[in-house]
Parts: sequence; C-alpha cells; structure tokens
Amino acid sequence: MSVEEGVFYVIAAITVIGGMGVVFARNVVYSALFLILALLAVAGIFLLLSAEFLALVQILVYGGAVTILVIFALMLTRVQDTPAALDSPQKPFAFLAAAGVLAILILAAVGTTWPGQTEKINAIPLRDFGDALFRTWALPFEVASLVLVVALVGAIVLAREEDGE
Amino acid sequence: MIPMQHFLVLSGILFSLGVYGVLARRSAVLILMAVELMLQAVSINFIAFAVYLAPDAFVGLIFAVFVITVAAAEVGLLLAIVLRIFRNQATANVDEVDLMRW
Amino acid sequence: MVGMDNAWLLAALPAGAFAILLIFGPYLPRRGDWLSIAAIGASFILFFPVLAELLDKIDTPGALPGLSGWTWIEYADFKLRLGFAVDQLTIVMLVVVSFVALMVQVYSVAYMKGDPHYGWFFTCMSLFAAAMLTLVLADNFLLLYIAWEGVGFCSYLLIGFWNERRSAAEAAKKAFITTRIGDVGLLIGIIMLWRSTGTFDIRETFEAARAGVMSEPYLTTAVLLIFAGAVGKSAQFPLHVWLPDAMEGPTPVSALIHAATMVVAGVYLVARTLPLFELAHPAALDLVTALGLTTVFMSATMGLVMTDIKRVVAYSTINSLGLMMVALGSGQVAAAMIYLLAHAFFKALLFLGCGSVLHATGKDDVQELGGLWRKMPLTATVFGVGVLAMAGIPPLSGFWAKDEIILSSSQHQNAFVYGLMVLSVFITGLYMARLFLLTFTGEPRDRHAFEHAHEAPPIMTVPNVLLAVLAVVAGLVVFDQVGEALGFPGGIGKFVYLAEPEAFKFHGGVAAVSIIAALAGVLGALYFWRGEAKPAKAAGARFPFVYALWKNKYYIDNLYQALIDHVVLVFSRFIAWWDRKIINDTGVNGSAALAVYSGFRLKFLQTGRLPNYAFAIILGVVVMAIVAMTVLV
Repeated sequence: MSVEEGVFYVIAAITVIGGMGVVFARNVVYSALFLILALLAVAGIFLLLSAEFLALVQILVYGGAVTILVIFALMLTRVQDTPAALDSPQKPFAFLAAAGVLAILILAAVGTTWPGQTEKINAIPLRDFGDALFRTWALPFEVASLVLVVALVGAIVLAREEDGE
Repeated sequence: MIPMQHFLVLSGILFSLGVYGVLARRSAVLILMAVELMLQAVSINFIAFAVYLAPDAFVGLIFAVFVITVAAAEVGLLLAIVLRIFRNQATANVDEVDLMRW
Repeated sequence: MVGMDNAWLLAALPAGAFAILLIFGPYLPRRGDWLSIAAIGASFILFFPVLAELLDKIDTPGALPGLSGWTWIEYADFKLRLGFAVDQLTIVMLVVVSFVALMVQVYSVAYMKGDPHYGWFFTCMSLFAAAMLTLVLADNFLLLYIAWEGVGFCSYLLIGFWNERRSAAEAAKKAFITTRIGDVGLLIGIIMLWRSTGTFDIRETFEAARAGVMSEPYLTTAVLLIFAGAVGKSAQFPLHVWLPDAMEGPTPVSALIHAATMVVAGVYLVARTLPLFELAHPAALDLVTALGLTTVFMSATMGLVMTDIKRVVAYSTINSLGLMMVALGSGQVAAAMIYLLAHAFFKALLFLGCGSVLHATGKDDVQELGGLWRKMPLTATVFGVGVLAMAGIPPLSGFWAKDEIILSSSQHQNAFVYGLMVLSVFITGLYMARLFLLTFTGEPRDRHAFEHAHEAPPIMTVPNVLLAVLAVVAGLVVFDQVGEALGFPGGIGKFVYLAEPEAFKFHGGVAAVSIIAALAGVLGALYFWRGEAKPAKAAGARFPFVYALWKNKYYIDNLYQALIDHVVLVFSRFIAWWDRKIINDTGVNGSAALAVYSGFRLKFLQTGRLPNYAFAIILGVVVMAIVAMTVLV
C-alpha cells in the first residue's frame, strides 16, 4: 500500500466516523460537531483528489457558514435530547433502506467497467478551472449567484416576525 | 495511486449514512444535517469522475462548485421554513407536522 | 317528355306528398287528403308515358331496362345507388300499385270520414305508395331492401292505426315481428350475394351468377334466404299468421296493402330473382312450390270456417299468394304476373266491398249479417263479381289467370300437385260463395243492423265499380290478339317472361276440369249455406275434430305463442338477468365500488409525514436500481 492510499484510508475513516456521529449521536450538539468533522474530512478528500480550490471553498462555505446556521437553528428550535425526541419510529425501515442503498452503490461502483482509466489522478490546473468557470460556464455561474440572492431574500421574508406575532 | 473505486465506495458509505439519517431522525434540523452528508457524498463522486475519467472537460469539478453553492442557499431557506413551522406548530418534529394527511 | 329515365318521379311524387303532409298536414284544408290523392293520381297518369316509351323500345336489344337514378354513397367497394330500372316486370307492378292505390285513397275519403286521425291516414298512405313504388323500381338490392323495410313499417303504422285498441296494437306488432323474421333472411341473402359478386346491382348479380362466380350451395343458400323474406312478406306458411290479424287495420288498408300491393312484394321479389333460382339447386324451386301449395291448401280450409268477413277475404288472399308462388315455383313468371294483376283488382274489390258492408252496418261478423242485397244492391253486385272472379269462373279474369297456373302445374309438376290444385279450386269456390251467401242473401240475423244498412256513397262505389270492370276484363290480356290491339307485342306471355316469350296456351281438358271444380264449389256452397245453412251445421257437427282444427287455424298461433313463451322469453329473461346482474351490478357498479373501496383503504398511505414520504422515495429508487442492475444488464 502506497503512502497515498494510507493517507486516503485515514481521512476516509475520519469522514465515516464523522458521518456516523451525525446520525447516531445522542446529543444534538454532538451531532453538529461531528458534522463539522465530517465536512472538514471531506475537504481533505478533495485535497487528495487534487481539487485544492474546492477544498478551500468547502472549508470556507461549509465549515464556516453552514455549520453556524445549523447550530443557530438547533438553538432556536429547541431540540430535546431524549431518545424519543431524536429517533423516529421508522428506524428499522431506515436501516433497511440505507443498507439497500449502500449495497447498490457499492455493487455499482465495484462492478462497473468504467470508460477510461481509474488509476491515475489528473490534477486540474487552477488556471484552466477558472477559465472554464468564467467562460464556458459563465451563465450557470450567474444563475447561481441569482439563486443565492433569492435564497437570501426568501429567507428574510419567510423568517421575519409579522406584526402581532 | 488510489483506484477510483475507493472514492466511490467512500461516497456510497457517506450517502447511505445520510439516507439513514434522513429517515430515522425526528427533528428537521437533524434531517438537514443528514442531507448535508448526502450532498458531500455527491460532490466526492463528481470530482472523482472528473479527475479520473474526464480530466479534459472537467464538468464534475464545476458541478461540485455549484453543488456547494446551492447547498448553502438551501440551508438558509430551509432554516427559515423550519423557524416558520416552529412558530406555528411549536414543534420542529417532522413526525408531528402532518396537516397534509388524508 | 316524361320517359323511362324519369320513372323515379312515380315514386318521388308520393314521397314528396308524404314529406309535406308530415309537417304541414294538420294545417292544410281537409288535412291534405287531396294532396295525397293528387300525388298518387299523378303517378298513375305518368305511368302511361313510361309505358309508351317502354313499348317503343321493347324490340331494341339492350334498351331495356330503362335506367335512371344517381349514386348516393360510394366508398371503396361499397356503392349505394338510388337507381331505378323499368322493365316489363316493373311496368306490370307499376300499374297495379298506382291504380289500386288511387282507388283505395279515393274510397278512403268517405270511409275514414270523421276519424280523429284522418290526416295521418293519408300521410301514411303516401309514404306507403312511395315505398312500394321504389321497391318495384329499384335496380339494386340494397335500395329494394330499404323500400322493403319501408313498406313493412307502413304496414305496421297502418295496421295499428287505431292504436287505442289493444288488439290493433298487438296485430301490428305481430305483423312486424313475423315479417321481420323473413326480412333478416332477406338481408343475409343480399349480403351473401354482395360478398361474392361485389355488387348490389340486380342485373350485374345475374351476370355474375351466370358466369359461375358462386358455388351452387352458396347460391342456393342465398336464394333460399331471399325466399325467406318473400315467405314473410307474402304470408306463406309458416309465416302466414300475421295476415288475418292484420285485418284490425282500417279496411282500405287491408285492400291496398294486404291484398294488392305489399303482400305481392314477396311475389315480385321471387319473380325478379327467378334467374338466380333457376341457377341454384332445383330444391330451391321445389321448396317454393311446396310452401306455396301448403299455403294454398291450409288457407282454403281455414277460410271455410271463419265468420269474420274480412278474415275470410284475408285467407283468400293467402290462398292466392300461395297460388302465385306455385306458379313461380314452376318458373312461370307470366302466369304469376297475370294472376297478380287480376288478383289485385278483384281482391281490392272484395275488401272494399267488405268495407262498404262494415261502413253501412257496423258489423263484420257473418253471424250478424245477412240479406244485405236488398239494402245494398250495387255493393252486392260488385262483390258478387269479385267472388266469381276469385272462384275462377270464366270469362272473368280470375279464371284465365288461375287456369294458366293450373295448366303450368299440370305440365311441370307431378299429378299430386295438380290434384291438390284442383281440390283447392273447389274449396275456393266453396268458401267464396259461402261468404257471399251468408253476407248478402238469406234472412238478416241482426235486425237492428239490417235496418240501418244503406248503400255506400258514390265516392265509395265508383272505385268499386271500376275495380269490378277491371276484374272482369283484365284476364283477357292473356290473349295475343288483345295484347297486340293494345300496342303490346302480344299477350302477357310474350310481354313478361323469364327465358322465352310464350304464347297463351289453352288446354281444353285442363280448363274443363278447373271450371267444373269451381262450379262445383259454388253450387256446393249454395247447397250447404243456403237459407238457414242447416247442411253446413250438420257437417260441422259430424266432423268436430276437423272443424276445430280449421277454426283454430291448425293451432299454429298456439304453437308460436308457446315457442315464444318457453324459448324466446326464457332466453330474454336470462339475457336481462345477465345484463342487470353481471354487467351492470358487477361490472359497472362493481368497478366503481372497487375504486371507492381501494381509495378508502389506500388513503392511509398519505400520512402527511415527511419521513414516510422520504422512505417511499428511497424505496422506489432502490427497487428501480435493483431492476436496472438485474434485469437490464
């Protein structure tokens, strides 16, 4: 096993632990913290994949903004910590569904013959990436910014207090 | 050299964890966290494909950027909605918000 | 100038009158009876130019039949033509229909006077005239069938004219259903012919048949089915049961439809399609003869015991129709047509005479009549002429016509058939004379009715007299000299024929036998029914079984009723049950109930809870993925 593979396994383990913590934790704040762990570990994965820019974006956006929002929401909705409040009666079905999805995905991943080589990681130069983003994909880029504006305005409209509330 | 399938399996595990979380958690915010997990898995997938199989037209990378963007917007809106419901029903339990039942 | 290519006018004029009367009848003065009479009168007048042109062209090969008309529907290999063809057969029918219709309509002006539905009567009469004329003018089977149904429908309307009476409504129903059975056969026969020849045109079908397009069994079946239609319409055994009951309708209706025109539509049909009969298996014509003979014999015996005057004449009509069928069964178109011609006149005369009696006394049962010649001498005289013509006494038309038929049966059929024919002549003389004697001679049995009796008004007697005159002289057209004097190429045998023109044959021996039989019948009637009719009553008492058999119409009506009750209605009830219980309750209501019930059960799936929905989505994805990976790989 090469160094890269070893590194990969470590980071992957951290990611999985983080994910499991998110869904199995008995304390909501612990869930949030595990989420941060998982997000940062995924950033590490991105680094392994030579997508440095994306790793940075991941840390900034997710690790910074999203987790703050989540914790705010937890505080405002006062989620209890009791098991009855945490897990729904649908748990067994959830296990089954998750297991099914997992089986399918792993089978698909391992069993398919992929068109192309699956050994070597090709690093994408940042310059080309930027070029593509602002040239070929300029329109989706602009639309994405529009989406953000709409989300911003919409969140404010939805969440503000009405008169008398 | 890491075979691509490693990344795909990892993303599969993360995705299924997210599925479990979506189906088994009671609070809307907890479900949101599981959804974030799922989005992460998707991003890993896209980037892996782009980097390994199609490095010339690296559409996967671009897509991952947009995934992150939209996920951020979505989180904001979702929390606004949850707050709204919480104000109306005094609960953030998705099990108890069943006004659209038969 | 009106000619053969305008022959369609003869049918169109009464049709136009019908249309106008249908809509505007109630608003016209006198309810429009003059319009109906004018239309049929015009048809009768227009007959003569058509006849003239026919006679002109009669020697030109290929000029006949004179065709006219236009195509109505044409689609792929289906073509419906409103086509009209005039040939010798048609010409004979045209004069019969238009003249008798005219006479009857004039007569009806007085007969139906004061009836609340007076206008409707003439409307139906016009429709009938139009349909009947179309039937004889049609050049293709489909149009013929349409007209065939049309006359059947008019018959239904007119038999049930006084529909307040239960018996009339039942009789109309019976007539329609009985002829329907035949009509179905006719339709199937026509379709069979079309399927193999590809055309509905009558003459093209003949050519195709001669060319051997159809196999003999196929052609024979088609021909027999067509004959079934004739059996129904022309009241042959076993579908004769409707005609006596049809007397529930007004007497002019009986005279026109059930004596002179509609019932002979069957005869016309067989005469028209006789070339096909000749090409089919000989058993077909044998069947025609056999049924005709049975009809002749049965109706003669039944007429002997009936007491309703109209019914006796009805049975005599069935008798005559049977005779015509026997003639056709021997391939003698000319004999059948001359009898048809003569019969139209004297039978209409007889019916109209009955009508006069009914009109005068209000009674139609001989047990309540009698001695009427003192009060209605003119009617009695013309009725007597009709009776003698029917019985076949020379030199009246009935004799010449009947003689032709008997002669042909003696030459073309075996001795048994001939013997039965002679016997029927005897019986016919017997019951016709009986009718006359019981009605007009002797002592009146119902004094009250007798006192009120009076001679009919001229509007009613004039048509009777005209018909009587024709009944006397019409028979003479069998002679070649008479025919040539009138402008025809010869006697009727040279005019209407199937294969070759035939001159009138007269066989002294055969004629003598017939005359003796007829006279014996008349004289026998004088013996049996004169005065108090003691000999007749004694005979009736001596043979009670036979008397009952004849009086109950051979129990055929009972048989049919039993069949309907125990077969048809049972089946109908089953079908009704099936429709109600299985199709409606189970099928229609059941599927609705099933939908409602499944909705009632399934609605619980919609819990309103997000996790449940999410689970459903994931489940769906998993299932589809499994399917995709296992099945579609």
